[in-house]
Amino acid sequence: MKALFHFFTSVRLAIVLLIIIIIASVLGTLIPQGRSAEEYLVRYGQLGGILERLRFTRLYQSFWYISLLASLGLNIVVCTLTRLTPKIRRGFRPLVEADPKNIQALKIKERFRLTVEPGAAKEAVKKELARRRYRIKESTSEGRISLLARKRVFGWFGSDIVHMGLLVILTGGVVSGLFGLKQSLSFVENQTLPVLEANFSIRLDRFITEYYPNGSVRDWKSDLTVIEAGRPVRQKTIEVNHPLTHQGYVFYQSGYGWDWQNPTLQIWAKKSSDPSYLRKLSVKVGEKVALEEENLKVSAVRFLPDFVLDEKRQPGTRSLEPNNPAAFIEGWKGEERIFSGWIFARYPDFSRLHGAKEPDLSFELKDTKAPQYSVIQISKDPGVPFIWVGCSLLMAGLFLAFYWPTREVRLVIEESGGKSEVTAGGISAKSQEAFRQEFSDLMSAARKTT
Amino acid sequence: MSEATFFLLTFILYILAAVCYFVFLFSKKEGSAKAGFTLAFLGLLLHTLALILRTVESGHAPFTNMYESLSFLAWSSVLAYLIIEWKYRVRRAGAYFLLIVIAFMALASSPLMPKEAAPLVPALQSYWLWLHVSVTLIGEAFFAVAFITSIMYLRAEAREKRGRMSGTGPSAEKLDSISYLAVAVGFPLFTLGGLVFGMAWAYKAWGSYWSWDPKEVWSLITWFVFALYLHTRIVMGWKGRRSAVIAIIGFLAAMFTYFGVNYLLSSLHSYV
Ligand code: HEM
Repeated sequence: MKALFHFFTSVRLAIVLLIIIIIASVLGTLIPQGRSAEEYLVRYGQLGGILERLRFTRLYQSFWYISLLASLGLNIVVCTLTRLTPKIRRGFRPLVEADPKNIQALKIKERFRLTVEPGAAKEAVKKELARRRYRIKESTSEGRISLLARKRVFGWFGSDIVHMGLLVILTGGVVSGLFGLKQSLSFVENQTLPVLEANFSIRLDRFITEYYPNGSVRDWKSDLTVIEAGRPVRQKTIEVNHPLTHQGYVFYQSGYGWDWQNPTLQIWAKKSSDPSYLRKLSVKVGEKVALEEENLKVSAVRFLPDFVLDEKRQPGTRSLEPNNPAAFIEGWKGEERIFSGWIFARYPDFSRLHGAKEPDLSFELKDTKAPQYSVIQISKDPGVPFIWVGCSLLMAGLFLAFYWPTREVRLVIEESGGKSEVTAGGISAKSQEAFRQEFSDLMSAARKTT
Repeated sequence: MSEATFFLLTFILYILAAVCYFVFLFSKKEGSAKAGFTLAFLGLLLHTLALILRTVESGHAPFTNMYESLSFLAWSSVLAYLIIEWKYRVRRAGAYFLLIVIAFMALASSPLMPKEAAPLVPALQSYWLWLHVSVTLIGEAFFAVAFITSIMYLRAEAREKRGRMSGTGPSAEKLDSISYLAVAVGFPLFTLGGLVFGMAWAYKAWGSYWSWDPKEVWSLITWFVFALYLHTRIVMGWKGRRSAVIAIIGFLAAMFTYFGVNYLLSSLHSYV
């Protein structure tokens, strides 16, 4: 137990862990994560199975990777705590008395005589220290005056605050992993859907896509209403980067799509013999509409938003974007189907109607309208407050560690024949150069005042 | 004058500054180094104007495609270098450092980088774009300074080992401490911009602060490498050669985060 404890106090372990975590993390970015077994088989052959078994394919969620992070966390706890108690003692209840011999052993030091008695020497030195914002503690024993002057003592604890911040962040990660909820909902307008494990529902009142003049998407906006016990209690328009928060649940605009199951098609019928002839039909998929004077009915049988022929030359859709909308239509006279074929919105010349007994008639797919749905991601993540607190500690600690260098000056004043023998030394872990300069200024000022 | 003109003038000034710094390497005349500093500073001013014009013309932050972001990285790098030179007088680094800047500028001007300002996709319309990208890139610029001074350290150390003093150049020890000082600025900035602001924005836009996306993982890797740099130095007293090697690896990791993830790995972050 003790051995284990010691093992975890060592910074050497931290370094080994950091190196292993770095290598593991690199691997995880080189192997695509979270794909299907077939894909790994194609990509890596036999090796694929091994990678999956070792969880290299879901590396960041794997037990061994999380254990590495947890070990680093444990390492930080033990490492910081074992150092903290002596550090706090030294920070807040320091030993003021010093032995001139120890001061002489410091890197930054000076020894000189002042021609006044120790009491006056002390006052002179204290004045100079105070001018430079040092806080001074003193003690006298055996006729020897010891001064301990320090400033920016908090800088000392910078690294500990950084480490605590990291622990809080790691804790947040654990809380998120254990208690975080995530759900993705697709709404069409006026649809109300219950929120997972919550006592309220959400209704989408309106969904719009805004475009730039060049046609690219500018924003998606969803007007949401929160409904509690059947009553609307809150309303907000959410857009990307502007979520709605309600009772710890956050609603994000995450995407959009079209409900291609129920499109309405605008089809124009024309006649080559009569340029002035134009009939505009509005058809839903599965419906038949009449083209009256022709004694004809037209039906839309199938619709594909992004028409493509697959390897077997069967029609399919490449995506859910309306990149190449196409409709399969049929013409009926009574019970007889007289023509059928695909018509294309983008490529009217490609339309081919087979078995047309009315060669005079042609059809164009002018427009397609489908209800748009809004994809809204819902998350409830109680780990989040930990993350922000941890990040604040982290940044505060970094500031203290790098830009709030603690400085410590120790002096011992001894009496020798009515005069004072001063031994002074300084300690600063950071910004040595600047401190050396300040120390020597301080000493020459102290000499001059008497 | 248009943004493109300012950009070109800036590029020319940086090249001239590099030439002056190289002349200084050989002639050892302070004057050339001072001229290099002045030219680089003038370049920085023009570059600032170019970025402001870009912002005004496009109506959004000047780092939404690779051209803009490289230009901003070059700007941050010059800024970081001038601050470090001004504070710590490492003139000899100027020549080498400006080579990196010129490489960024050249990449930005290459015909492979589309330069039109495209309208912002919805995910990027946020003030976090400013905070996240600018602070991260400025942090990385300081890592670039540490990268150059670390390489110079390795050369100076090799020279000093062979018994020759470093001549007029800074001593190996000074280069080592400048690398540390650059990391000491870069690390908090990178932490704030890359990790903290990154998480805040991800939470705001995607609903989760961390997704183990390759760009996030590589930022974390970069950050861990510099954490390694700090700990081996502070706690284990590593200095010099080993520290320099870690700083070099750290900057290369940062550059992989910046370029590699966009071009070699697929990522949620592929806006640029
Ligand atoms: C990713 C994880 C870590 C980060 C980001 C981190 C960050 C830091 C920072 C910024 C400092 C101050 C450095 C300086 O003053 O120049 C520091 C110091 C230190 N860290 Fe860490 N740390 C991490 C993990 C660890 C671990 C696991 C240990 C324990 C074994 C550890 C032990 C120490 C010690 C002993 C110091 C010196 C404390 C001092 O002298 O004030 N750190 N750390």
